[in-house]
Amino acid sequence: MISIEVLAQVVLGGILIGGLYALVAFGLSLIYGVVRILNFSHGTLLAVGGVLASTLYATWGVSLSLMTLLLTPIFFAYGYLFFKYLLEPLSKKNHFESTVGTVLVTVGALLIMSDLTAKFAGPAQKNINIQFDTFEISGVIVSTTQIIILLGIIFLTLALHYLLKLTWFGRAVKAVTQDPLGAKLCGINSGKIKATTFAFGSATVFLASILYALSFPVDPYIGFGLTVKAFTIIILGGIGNLPGALLAGIFIGVAEGLTGLFWKPEWAPALSVILLLIILIIFPQGFQKSK
Amino acid sequence: MKLSYINNQMVFLGSLALLGLLGIVQFANAYLISFVFTILIYYILAQSWDWIAGEMGYVNLGHYCFYGIGAYIFGIFLVEGYTSSTAMLLNIVMTSFIAIIISYPLYRLKGDYFAFATLALLPLMEVLAYNLSSITKGGDGIVFPIQKVSSLTYVLALVLSFISFILTLWINRSRFGYALRAIRNDEEVSEVIGIKIFPYKVKVLVLSALFAGLAGALQGWQMSFIDPGSVFGLNVALVPIAMVLFGGSGMRWGPLVGVILLACIQQWMLVNLKMLQTTIYGLIILCIGRFMPGGLLRAGWIKKTKFLSFLSKEHHEYMTDQLEKSVIQSDAKQISLQDILGTRTINRQILILECEHITKSFGGNVALDDVSFKINQGEIVGLIGANGSGKTTLFNCISGVFKPTSGKIRFLNQELSGKSRDEIAQIGIGRTYQLPRPFGDLTVLENLAMPLMFGGEGMSPHEALINARALATFIKLSNKEMVRSDSLSLQEKKAIEFGRAIALRPSLLLVDEVASGLTPIEVNQFVEHIRTIRNHYGVTVIWVEHIFSALTQVVDRLIVLDTGRLVADGPLAEVLKDEKVIASYLGNAKGVTNA
Repeated sequence: MISIEVLAQVVLGGILIGGLYALVAFGLSLIYGVVRILNFSHGTLLAVGGVLASTLYATWGVSLSLMTLLLTPIFFAYGYLFFKYLLEPLSKKNHFESTVGTVLVTVGALLIMSDLTAKFAGPAQKNINIQFDTFEISGVIVSTTQIIILLGIIFLTLALHYLLKLTWFGRAVKAVTQDPLGAKLCGINSGKIKATTFAFGSATVFLASILYALSFPVDPYIGFGLTVKAFTIIILGGIGNLPGALLAGIFIGVAEGLTGLFWKPEWAPALSVILLLIILIIFPQGFQKSK
Repeated sequence: MKLSYINNQMVFLGSLALLGLLGIVQFANAYLISFVFTILIYYILAQSWDWIAGEMGYVNLGHYCFYGIGAYIFGIFLVEGYTSSTAMLLNIVMTSFIAIIISYPLYRLKGDYFAFATLALLPLMEVLAYNLSSITKGGDGIVFPIQKVSSLTYVLALVLSFISFILTLWINRSRFGYALRAIRNDEEVSEVIGIKIFPYKVKVLVLSALFAGLAGALQGWQMSFIDPGSVFGLNVALVPIAMVLFGGSGMRWGPLVGVILLACIQQWMLVNLKMLQTTIYGLIILCIGRFMPGGLLRAGWIKKTKFLSFLSKEHHEYMTDQLEKSVIQSDAKQISLQDILGTRTINRQILILECEHITKSFGGNVALDDVSFKINQGEIVGLIGANGSGKTTLFNCISGVFKPTSGKIRFLNQELSGKSRDEIAQIGIGRTYQLPRPFGDLTVLENLAMPLMFGGEGMSPHEALINARALATFIKLSNKEMVRSDSLSLQEKKAIEFGRAIALRPSLLLVDEVASGLTPIEVNQFVEHIRTIRNHYGVTVIWVEHIFSALTQVVDRLIVLDTGRLVADGPLAEVLKDEKVIASYLGNAKGVTNA
C-alpha cells in the first residue's frame, strides 16, 4: 500500500518536471505556431544548456545569476541566427523540399549539438550540485530547490504570457501565427518576427535548462525525448496556448511519476509517445482545429 | 505482357552490374564485401522510403523502425531454433501485418503531423525493445546463432536491391504509381476522379515496410548482433532518408546515387576520423537539408554535363519519351472522342438526380437550407445565385466532398449518402472545381489520362495516355500535351479541369464556373462544348455560371439559389420573370438590390 505522503511526493515531483516540460514546450509552441517548423533540435538545447551550466558551476564555480546573464543572450542570438541562415531560406522552396529540408537541418543540428556536448563535457549525467535545505510539510519532504524551480516556472510562464499579451511584439506574433500573409500586408516584417520568435524560444529553453539541472540529471542525449514530450504537450494544450501547455505539461509530468510509482519507471518514457499517437489519431489536426 | 520499360541496353548493363557485384563474393576481400553489402542495404532502405515519399509525397520519418522490427523478428525466431527460411517468412508476414495495423491510425494524419507521428514511432519502438526484455533481451541485444552467412546475405541483399530497382521502374509505369502521384498532388481530387485512395496508401506502406524489414533481417543476420540503439536509434534512422534527398527524391537514379556517394563519405570517415564522426555526419545531413533538399541530380550542372544528363531525368520525362515513340509508331490509328465516350441514348423521362431537402450547415452557418429539385436525363440545367448562395456547396454535397447535414440525394435511384467520393465518381458523376485543381506536377496528358486509368474497366497508363490525346484535342491543348500543368495559365488549367471531368465518362457532369474569365469567343466555344457532350454523348449537365448570356444559349432550365434556399426552378423565360430572382440575382429595375 502506497502512503499518501509518498503519493504527494511523487505528484509534487511530477508537477515540477511537468512544469519544466512545459517551459520547453512554450518555445516549441511559439516556433511551430509562427514559423510552422517542427524544430527537432529544440529539446537538445535543454540538454546542451543543462550540461553547460552544470559544467560551468562544477568547474569554475560560476554563479547561477552570472550564468543566466551571460548565456541567455547567447542562446537568444543562436536561435535568431539559426533560423535566419539555416531555416528561412528553405521557406522559398516547394512544399516537399522545405518540409524534408527543415527536418534534415534540425535533425542535423540535434546530432551536432549532442555529439559536441558529449565530446567536450563527457557523456555522463550531471547536474548543478547546489545543496539546499529541506523541510517537511505534513510528512512530505520539500527542498528549497523545488521551491526555486516552482517559482522559476511560474515567473517564466507569466513573463512570456505578458510578453505575448501586452507588447507590440506579442501582437505581431499573434498576427503572424493566424495569417502570415495578412500580417505582412499590415506592415509586419514577418521574417524578423519569425527569427525573433525562434530566438525567444531558444532563450526560454536555456532558462529552463538551468532550473532542470538544479534537480534532475542531464546528459547530452536527453534532448530528443524532451522534444517528443514538448510536442505532445503543445498538441494537448493547443498550439500557441501557454496556460494550456502548462496544464498539459503538468499532466504528463504527474502521469509519468505515477506510472513509475504504480508500475515500472522504465515505461515512463513511452507514456508521452503513446499519448501523442493517441491524441493525433483522435484529433488528426490537433485540438485547435477540431471543433 | 511486354515489359516495355526495360529495353535491351538496360538488360545488358543490368546483367553486367549484377555479374560484377556477384563476382565480388568470389574474388574480393571481406572488407570490400561488407562495404558493398552496407551500400546494398542502404539502397533497399532508401528506395523503399522513396516509394512513399517521392511518389506519394508522405514524409515517413519512422521508416527505419520497420528495419528494426524486421531485424528483431528474424533474430528472435532464429534464436528460438527456427530455420532461417522459416524465420524470414515469419518476418515477411509479421512486418506486413504490423504495417497494415499501423497504417490505419497514421493515415489519419497529413503533412507535419504525419512526419512527427512516424518519427515518434522510433523512440516508442526503442522503449519497447528495451523493456519487453523477456522477448527482446532488453539492452543486451540479440546475439544470433553462429553461422557463416556473409556470402549468403550478400547475394540475398544484391537480389533484393535489384528487385527494389525493377519494382521502382514498374511503379513508375503502372496505374499504382499514377495513383500515388495523384495522391501526392491532391487527395480530394484523386477521389473525385474515381480513385479509391486508401488501399493504395496502405499497399505502398506495406510494400515499403516489407523491404525495410527484409533489409533489417539481412543486416542483423550478417552482423549476428542487434540491440535497440543500433536499429531504432535516431542517429542511424534518418541516414537512408538523407541519402535519398541527397541524390534526388522521386527520381529514378536519385536514391542510388545518393546512397553510393554518402556511403563512401561515411566509410571514409569511419577509417580516417577518430572522433566527432556524429558531428560531421550531422553537418552533412544539415547541409543537404539546407542547400539541396531537391537533390544533387536536379542541380543545373548535372543536366548540362553530357554523360551525366541521363541521371537528371524525371519520371514523367521517361514516360513522355516512350509515349512519343509509340505515337510515331501508331499514328495511323487516330482515336476520336467518340471512341472514348461512346454514345448514350437519352431518355428524358428518366430521373437522373433527385435532391430532397438538402441542408448543410457549418457550425452556425447554414450554407444550404432545405433544397429540393429533380434533374432529368439529358437536361442542361443552369444553377445561378449570388456569391455565397450555396452553389458550390451543393456540388460538394452531390460529389461526396461534403456530407449533407440532412436530406437525401439519389442518382439514378441509388442513394448517395453511404457512398464514398470515388464510388460516386465511378457510378457516373463528374465535376470540375471553380478554382482549377489539376495535378500540378503531371503533364496535361497525364492529367487527362488519369480518369481513363481508374474509371470503368481501367486502361493501362500507356493506353490511357494515347487515348487522352483525343481529349487534349477537344479542349484545344494538344500543342501542350507534354507540358507540366502547373506551368499553364488559369484558363488552360480550367480547360484541363473540364477535360479531366469528361474523361471520367460521366452521365452527370457538374460544371463550376469554367467560362468566367474567358473572352466572348472562348465562351461561345465552351457553350458549344457543353452542347456537344449532351447532344453527342448523352451527358446531363448542371452548370454554375455567372456569365448569364452563356447560360441562356444552352440551358433547358434554371435553378436559382439565394442564401442557401432554392428560390426558383423552371424554364428560362419563367424564371426571368420571377421577382425574387430579379431582386436577389439580377438586380431590380433601379439597378440596386433591396437589402
